Amino acid sequence: MTERYSFSLTTFSPSGKLVQIEYALAAVAAGAPSVGIKATNGVVLASEKKHKSVLYDEHSIHKVELITKNIGIVYSGMGPDYRVLVRNARKLAQQYFLTYQEQIPTLQMVQRIANVMQEYTQSGGVRPFGVSLLIAGWDEDEERPYLYQCDPSGAYFAWKATAMGKNYINGKTFLEKRYSEDLELEDAVHTAILTLKESFEGQMTEDNIEIGICNQDGFRRLNPTEVKDYLGAIA
Amino acid sequence: MSIMSYNGAAIMAMTGKDCVAIASDLRFGIQAQTVSMNFQKVFEMGPRLYIGLAGLATDVQTVAQRLKFRINLYELRENRRIKPKTLMSVVSNLLYERRFGPYFTEPVIAGLDPKTGQPFIASLDLIGCPMITEDFVVSGTCSEQMYGMCESLWEPDMSPEVLFEAISQALLNAVDRDAVSGWGAIVHIIEKDKVTTKTLKARMD
Amino acid sequence: MQMDPGLHKGEGYQYGPNPKQHYFSPYSMNGGTVLAIAGEDFAVVASDTRLSEGFSIHTRDSPKTYQLTNSTVLGCTGFHGDVLTVTKLLEARLKMYKNEHNRQMSTSAIAAMLSTVLYYRRFFPYYVYNIIGGLDDEGKGAVYSFDPIGSYEREAYRAGGTASSMLQPLLDNQIGFKNQEGVTKVPLSKEKAVFLVKDVFISAAERDIYTGDNIMIHVTTKDGTETEVFPLRRD
Repeated sequence: MTERYSFSLTTFSPSGKLVQIEYALAAVAAGAPSVGIKATNGVVLASEKKHKSVLYDEHSIHKVELITKNIGIVYSGMGPDYRVLVRNARKLAQQYFLTYQEQIPTLQMVQRIANVMQEYTQSGGVRPFGVSLLIAGWDEDEERPYLYQCDPSGAYFAWKATAMGKNYINGKTFLEKRYSEDLELEDAVHTAILTLKESFEGQMTEDNIEIGICNQDGFRRLNPTEVKDYLGAIA
Repeated sequence: MSIMSYNGAAIMAMTGKDCVAIASDLRFGIQAQTVSMNFQKVFEMGPRLYIGLAGLATDVQTVAQRLKFRINLYELRENRRIKPKTLMSVVSNLLYERRFGPYFTEPVIAGLDPKTGQPFIASLDLIGCPMITEDFVVSGTCSEQMYGMCESLWEPDMSPEVLFEAISQALLNAVDRDAVSGWGAIVHIIEKDKVTTKTLKARMD
Repeated sequence: MQMDPGLHKGEGYQYGPNPKQHYFSPYSMNGGTVLAIAGEDFAVVASDTRLSEGFSIHTRDSPKTYQLTNSTVLGCTGFHGDVLTVTKLLEARLKMYKNEHNRQMSTSAIAAMLSTVLYYRRFFPYYVYNIIGGLDDEGKGAVYSFDPIGSYEREAYRAGGTASSMLQPLLDNQIGFKNQEGVTKVPLSKEKAVFLVKDVFISAAERDIYTGDNIMIHVTTKDGTETEVFPLRRD
């Protein structure tokens, strides 16, 4: 019964816009900033992780998540929606592995996540995801890094460097100035931190940002001590 | 009588130095009666990738077609050529999906890796259990005869010419001791820059 | 639920309304491979020395070759019980022949006699595969092969037993020159024959679990029989 009469909430306006998707993008733009930079030998993802109270145990919940050994993601927007996508993405990656006995290539992962996000703009009884994703991957076959962004509409983009969330326009302008083609991963981590710092209110510490790096050894989240070292090198 | 030997077949694959070979007989029969002497059992699945299917002829053709379907989709989706090892996983999946009502065919895969050119051979049982070997694989109604021949004739690092001679002799002498396979044979020698296909003159009885 | 009425009626016996069927199989298969090759003035008869049943090995030292006369050797595999019976019977018949005729039985006569011995049990056969190798009346190498009920023919070479299907095609190729074009068919030398025997048995031992441990090779010439033991894989 519910399925037969549950029409999609995402409906065209007379001007041809899908306002539900625009609202979702607004939710993303209001969310905490995230930055992704592709270097010659890897990718870095960084995200602001501010907490409302000092009572939060800030190292128990993460924004940067591992999907496969070679792929990691981060988000701007709504946390709960993100976790649904993480579960979905991990499952899709394992389904791929089960069929081909081979790690899913980054672009395949992106396309499959984008497909899920698109379905939520056209299915009944659901709303679009209130998140944009940054997907960092290392392609073992081609031996090169990838950085993608995936939006609530299901649109996806390949970036050299980008920013999302609050103040993303400033972030992107900053990256346009600082980015160079022969950037190495170590420098990219610094640039990512500096980009976040552009719009960061208050003191930036290892407790209120999160960083993930991806290179030929795979994807991994930096632990707070490593983040602290990077922050120390900047100040 | 087993369904696996209803039509009769003999297929084998061998590795050489920077090359692989796959060969099959050409008989299609219904039990003891030969119907055709030009029946395809080895199928091209890529530029340097072949699969041989021994077993029930109708399933051989169905599996070949359904496999091509899956590979075409894969290559369009991923915009790259499928690797021999990935093909093996696809075949394994295809067969295991029919775990309790199987296709009566046992495949043999031979190919070179599209990037590295590394030789690859493997065989699967009818429900998709894969087996990768370094030397040779066989499948069909005269597998014992083929094992006997391959075990004696195979040696490491054969050149394409020597490999052709080895696989041809192994196949021909094996099928001559099997009533339901033979009646001509075809051999594909797969090298990095070319694939040579030869039909062999064989006993037709 | 109805209980089986026979179950509670005592220890060693059962009775009740339902008859119970018991099975007895008069045969078992003990494996092993024999091989005979006829040369111009010699014959080679060889067998492995493994005796097994199912996945168990009874002994690694049970040759399946039997020296019947100075110029005749029998290879005999299948059900070991029948092998013992047939060979015992043959030896008795050979003794009787010698006593009556005051000479040894010829290879061809032994073959003819073995055929009648086997056919005598046409409807409860000896489960044995026989191959006879020796010298004929003219001193030429001779091989006779049999099915379990006495059909036989004279040949140049023959493999019998569990790995026969592995050996035979290679013998066709290497001794019969089958599927070879433009080769000069040189007569088989003793050395080449013994070399081939070892080669094909090594191959058979790789794939047939019932063949292995050792080969016993008998080379019969006008001067008698020379015996050699050659090791095979034992797993």
